[in-house]
Amino acid sequence: MKRKLLLHLVLPLLGLSAFFWLLAFAPGASRQQTALLEMSVILREGDSTAASTLRKGMEQAAVDLNVELRFLAPSTANSADEQAQLLAREVESAASAILLFPADRQALADAVGDAAAKAAVVTLETDMTEQGAKSCVSVDNAALGKALARAAINGVSPGGTVLLLDSVPGNNGIRERLDAASAALRAAGRQVRLCPWTPEGDELAVALQTGDIGAVVAFEATALEAAAELARTNPRFPLLYGAGSSAAIAAGVERGRITAIAAENAFTAGYLAVEAAAAAARREPVSAMPALDFAIIRQENMYNADNQKLLFPVT
Amino acid sequence: MERPSIRLRRRWRELYRRSSIQLILSLSFTAAAVIGMVCMGLALFLRFSASTNALAAENSQRVLAQVNLNLDNYLRNLMRVSNTAYYQVIKDLDLADSSAADSLPAALELLYETDGDSIVSLAVFSQDGGLLAAAPLADLKISVTPSQEEWFTTAMERIENLHFSTPHVQNLFEDPDYRYRWVVSLSRQVELTRDGVIESGVLLVDMNFSGIEQLCKDVMLANSKGYLYLIDSAGELIYHPRQQLIYAGLQAENNLAAAGYHDGSHTETFGGQRRQVTVKTVGYTGWKLVGVVPEQNFWGNYGQLLLFFLFVVGFSVFLLVFVNLRLSEWITAPMKKLDRAVKELEAGRETVDFDAGGPYEVEHLSHSIQSMVSTMRHLMEDIIQQEEQKRRSELDVLQSQINPHFLYNTLDSVVWMTENGRTEEAVQMLTALARFFRISLSRGSSFISIADELEHARHYLTIQKMRYRNKFSATIEVEPGVEALYTIKLIVQPLLENAIYHGMDYADGDGEISIRAFREGDDAIIEVTDNGPGMPEELVEQLLTPGGPVASSGGKGSGIGFRNVSQRIRLTFGEPYGLTILSEPDAGTTVRIHLPALDEQAVRTYRKEETE
Repeated sequence: MKRKLLLHLVLPLLGLSAFFWLLAFAPGASRQQTALLEMSVILREGDSTAASTLRKGMEQAAVDLNVELRFLAPSTANSADEQAQLLAREVESAASAILLFPADRQALADAVGDAAAKAAVVTLETDMTEQGAKSCVSVDNAALGKALARAAINGVSPGGTVLLLDSVPGNNGIRERLDAASAALRAAGRQVRLCPWTPEGDELAVALQTGDIGAVVAFEATALEAAAELARTNPRFPLLYGAGSSAAIAAGVERGRITAIAAENAFTAGYLAVEAAAAAARREPVSAMPALDFAIIRQENMYNADNQKLLFPVT
Repeated sequence: MERPSIRLRRRWRELYRRSSIQLILSLSFTAAAVIGMVCMGLALFLRFSASTNALAAENSQRVLAQVNLNLDNYLRNLMRVSNTAYYQVIKDLDLADSSAADSLPAALELLYETDGDSIVSLAVFSQDGGLLAAAPLADLKISVTPSQEEWFTTAMERIENLHFSTPHVQNLFEDPDYRYRWVVSLSRQVELTRDGVIESGVLLVDMNFSGIEQLCKDVMLANSKGYLYLIDSAGELIYHPRQQLIYAGLQAENNLAAAGYHDGSHTETFGGQRRQVTVKTVGYTGWKLVGVVPEQNFWGNYGQLLLFFLFVVGFSVFLLVFVNLRLSEWITAPMKKLDRAVKELEAGRETVDFDAGGPYEVEHLSHSIQSMVSTMRHLMEDIIQQEEQKRRSELDVLQSQINPHFLYNTLDSVVWMTENGRTEEAVQMLTALARFFRISLSRGSSFISIADELEHARHYLTIQKMRYRNKFSATIEVEPGVEALYTIKLIVQPLLENAIYHGMDYADGDGEISIRAFREGDDAIIEVTDNGPGMPEELVEQLLTPGGPVASSGGKGSGIGFRNVSQRIRLTFGEPYGLTILSEPDAGTTVRIHLPALDEQAVRTYRKEETE
């Protein structure tokens, strides 16, 4: 009788109570809140105003995805060695995910491979998925280089010289832009000169004095901002083209110091990069990232509704 | 092909037939109760969810009304700035008067400073788009043509109104700090006086977009699960908490559809999600505040209540099942007891208790069954008695069939002998007949020893040999010990009669009849063999078939003797016993009597049954 009572009454009652407890108080609910993820962002250079929109995108994604971001930059701009050290350090400090702007694909190959074994590594600008990175968020660098070259070809007559600023030495996405632009310009009958550029140096000013330069093309925002600033003080500055978007670059375009820019939606790039890295770190499926769109913006169309949204983030 | 409905009905009936009454009662009670509870619960739940939806809508409307009030105050404040600038600074100012014209920027600057947090710039333009004055920045960008800007053309086209633009980047004035700020432009056509001549102009107040953002972004809808956005009359976004994501194409909003909604709450499905949308039009501007609450949040909010409801339903169902099981068990217990009693009766149990208790109907049924069983038993006993009487009658009839048969023949012979002067033979025959009948009577007992039976056969043979003038000879052999066994009486004589009539009739002194009695295991065998003409197989089968056609061989006899003996043995001892005939035409006949080997003690049982 006791056994029958146990089977018929007590056990089902216990089962129902457990069911009620599980459903009503949802003990797993606290775990449903996604765990905080620590993500390190290793930049190519420190304190770049050009990266502010990108950071806003990253921060928005961090809020949405419960990610804590830590921005790190090498003391020397574009130092692949320092980036490798930072990567190793972040991996040691158990960062779950790392966003990296690689300064040099070859120099960082081993470091990225090692880091990718322990953390989710996503790169921006430069594709290192072959070296182990989970994904790459970038425009099609070659296409961007060609688009800038086409813009410059319009401004420089055949046989004219176009100065290409080599601002990020090494094997990287910026170099891919430069190489593609160089090839396109040469193919269109323009002379191409490479000009190594560093933030501290005056290589550009010197190069401008040493020949008849029809146009200058910068392939990343820092070099473009610096060139625009040089153009402000140099009334004989040739046509300036470049990649990137910032308030200073927008001002350069608006004031005619920059003829055209290739602008990508930096907010989107930052958001997607954090999203991809967080997904990889949380063992969620990471879909293949298509190349980001970019637009060629000139003074006359910079206030188009779409271009305004591209150049000037709302928040 | 059987239709599904018929097949289903058949299966249902089969299931119904196989199920116990307790199961059917339990399931029926439970199903009825559960259906009732679920229906009632569902109705309550739907009522509750409708109330919650209405409450959520009401809450959204209240929040939107508050935001609308704040936004209206904000916009009215800016309109007041615009009115002040127009009516107190510009309207009575003669721009031809240089001192008065010079005071315009200062006046605008003063107005700007009074509301600097909300305003990005104040500017007055002539009807051809020339900048007359502006604050705080006064240098117009070279690249800008104000007369082509939308805020300018709209103001000039509809002069009676104040016009609010959609958010855009302020791009009119040179800013040394390269600041590009998102603004909403409030523009209006103004009348400018120049040398006493009235001309048109445009007064522009650029509102800081962040002011609108501040009003909207901290709004709590549905415990922060919902959000609010602002659109113009065409559906263009003015403010959205995730505006940059929408601009970047990373997120989408149903703003164009929302522009078509009237004020109030609506339900829409967007991006695969059902959501409650509450719309409130901001007076004067035509903008619309849109509050969005995903419906899953309602469920989330009263999820615990829903779960509690589920638990209560589940628990009630469990209790119902339990109670129904017990109840149906209690109701069906007397019927089950009755069923068990009937099964015991079927199994042959003598004493069965039919008192099942329970309600009146069951009690009545059990009494009826008990009464029926009692009646049935009486009837069965009567039938058995009748059958027994019938059996005895049959035996008596069969036995009585022998005596007259033989008696006629013997008396015929005695008469014949006496008529022919064969007195001694007649005496001998009559003596044998007398002994024959003495054994036949055996004091009324049907059972006699095999010795008596064979003695009886011997007397019969004596009589018949005299009748048939020694046409045959006869021998009787008995295995020692067999004489003491018992048999029903008068089973050999009919066989001898047949052997004589059918086997010896045509013999001419060479007829032989032998009787042999012996034991075979637990059985006693008496064989009667003659060397007569024998019988075909068909005739043998006819002779032993009860009720079969009467046979004859050579025109004499009907086989009644065989059948009588066979039936009597089987009626007395059962089917395994009786007669076996081995006969072939021209090869003689052997009739084998198969009996149980009954000793004195065993035969008492039969005698006892006989007396009962």
